[in-house]
Amino acid sequence: MNYKNKLLIKAIGASLLTCASAAQSANWLMLQGTEPAGAAERAKVWGFVQAQYQYDNSDPNAGGGYNPPKLIGPNLDDQSQFNVNRARIGVRGTGMPIDSNVNYFILAELGNNGITYGDDGKHLTDASVTLNHIPGARVRMGLFKTPGAEEGLQAIHVFDYINFTTVTNQLLLERFPSSSCEGGSPSTGPCTQSSDVNNSATATPDADMNQFSRSVGAFRDVGIQVFDTFKSGSWENSYAIMYGNGNGLNYGDNDDNKDLYLYLSTENVYGGKGGRREGLKMFAWHQDGTRTNAVDRTKEQDRTRSGLGFKYLQRPFRISAEYMQGKGMIFQGQHRPQHLFNDLEAAGYYAEAGWYIPDTNWELDLRYDSYTRDENFKQPPTSPATPSAPGDESTFDTITAGAQYHFNKKTRMNVEYAMRDAKSDTKAIDNNVKGINDRFAIQVTHIF
Amino acid sequence: MKKLLSLFMFLIAITSSYQIQAAEDDKPFAEEKIVLQISDSDPFKQTLVLNVASNIIKAYGQDKVDVEIVAFGPGLRLMFKDNVNSGRIQGLTSSGVKFAACGNTIAGVTKKLGHAPEMNSNAVTVTAGVVRIIELQNQGFKLIKP
Repeated sequence: MNYKNKLLIKAIGASLLTCASAAQSANWLMLQGTEPAGAAERAKVWGFVQAQYQYDNSDPNAGGGYNPPKLIGPNLDDQSQFNVNRARIGVRGTGMPIDSNVNYFILAELGNNGITYGDDGKHLTDASVTLNHIPGARVRMGLFKTPGAEEGLQAIHVFDYINFTTVTNQLLLERFPSSSCEGGSPSTGPCTQSSDVNNSATATPDADMNQFSRSVGAFRDVGIQVFDTFKSGSWENSYAIMYGNGNGLNYGDNDDNKDLYLYLSTENVYGGKGGRREGLKMFAWHQDGTRTNAVDRTKEQDRTRSGLGFKYLQRPFRISAEYMQGKGMIFQGQHRPQHLFNDLEAAGYYAEAGWYIPDTNWELDLRYDSYTRDENFKQPPTSPATPSAPGDESTFDTITAGAQYHFNKKTRMNVEYAMRDAKSDTKAIDNNVKGINDRFAIQVTHIF
Repeated sequence: MKKLLSLFMFLIAITSSYQIQAAEDDKPFAEEKIVLQISDSDPFKQTLVLNVASNIIKAYGQDKVDVEIVAFGPGLRLMFKDNVNSGRIQGLTSSGVKFAACGNTIAGVTKKLGHAPEMNSNAVTVTAGVVRIIELQNQGFKLIKP
């Protein structure tokens, strides 16, 4: 073999080794809502599996009972559990590859989590079509993630932790009242406060504290979104405006109210592609909607959420933080599927950092998050003997230390240890949350 | 005088011949000639064929190798104006890589879309991609299908 041919073979070999996937370099709006122009597949099958084990070391209340934060979800039966918490499979691409102006995205959840619990163990999480005909105004319609907080908007299979922060879990991951008592019926009349299922703390191993029969919102909605990204040098500036049902993963609307979602971000891109692209991103968002009162459908309740944050990633370091606040439909607990929402305020934040240990497959993570529920609300004392009435503030603080081992680009293991502290000005709640202790979790993720 | 005139005419003929040759072959010092075929719809192949071209240029040197990428059939998408790889195509063009787009495929796409596809300005439309490959092979190009 002569020298020229050897060179040629080397060149081709190097190409095979360095050939990257066709994922486009973009932000979450673009990654989830569009396909690479001129290079999309007709139907790209993809998905991921997450299997995990969690152990909660919390103590019961004085009566020997456990409430939801002390139990492993979504079942909330016991304090330890192996679980296939996510098993998603989907198809995306463009039905007519020669036309880059149209693309689609479909994804189904078959794992055991808040999406599928109580819903036959399966649920479509995404089903959308994007029209890219208008420069600067792409249009996406269907069921998909709403533009909002980074922790919710990001692809979950590249999430650096196993469990969400408390602020995201309670403030943004919307729960929908169980259909069993949703407003009653014309014959039976509306549900009443007393008809609410309000499980008190229960002993394990069959606490059965998850009283919901409908999927969580999963940061998604059915609606229409106008969005796009504009490049200016190394900067990418993005916007999104969405108008949706405000009814989570449910295909239809349950009332005549619609939600408005606004999102802005600007990112200095350092390099890389896909979900782990390096850069400094700053973003702000706002959501505004109205929900029908779960008990009395003649009443409505506003629900607003807003936040801002940043994410910096340039290996070996990652730093991100978000602040979020909300008013109305403040979640009060997984054990109260009807009366769990109130019209108060709540706010929280998180700050986290990661360090990719050089020349290894290990990554260390550290996160602090804080959430205050029913903020600044003080009910007048009913008597000198009961100075704190229900509705007062509750706070949740968590420090999570974690490590990730990347077997390869598609497979990793997360290990995390969460040190938790919770307290409430309401004695009845405080009695139940003060035993909240540390939680250990390990999870393997494989993307295909 | 007659000998001088003959010598002058001979020099003009040689010079003209060299100019025509140079016009036809803008890489006169190329030691290797490669034609790369992209006729697959797989996006992975788009990246691959561009990587191969890039690595050939790196391995031989820009002036020592003549590389042309010919796209036809489902592979034509690589040379659409909005293709996500258009930046790389521009870079390779600057390195001397040539791009040829199949006219027959463009006609077929035009029929399906109802309008002509916007093509990358660096791509030259040829009558038929496969015929272009045969022509190049006849000129000494080696065909590679990554």
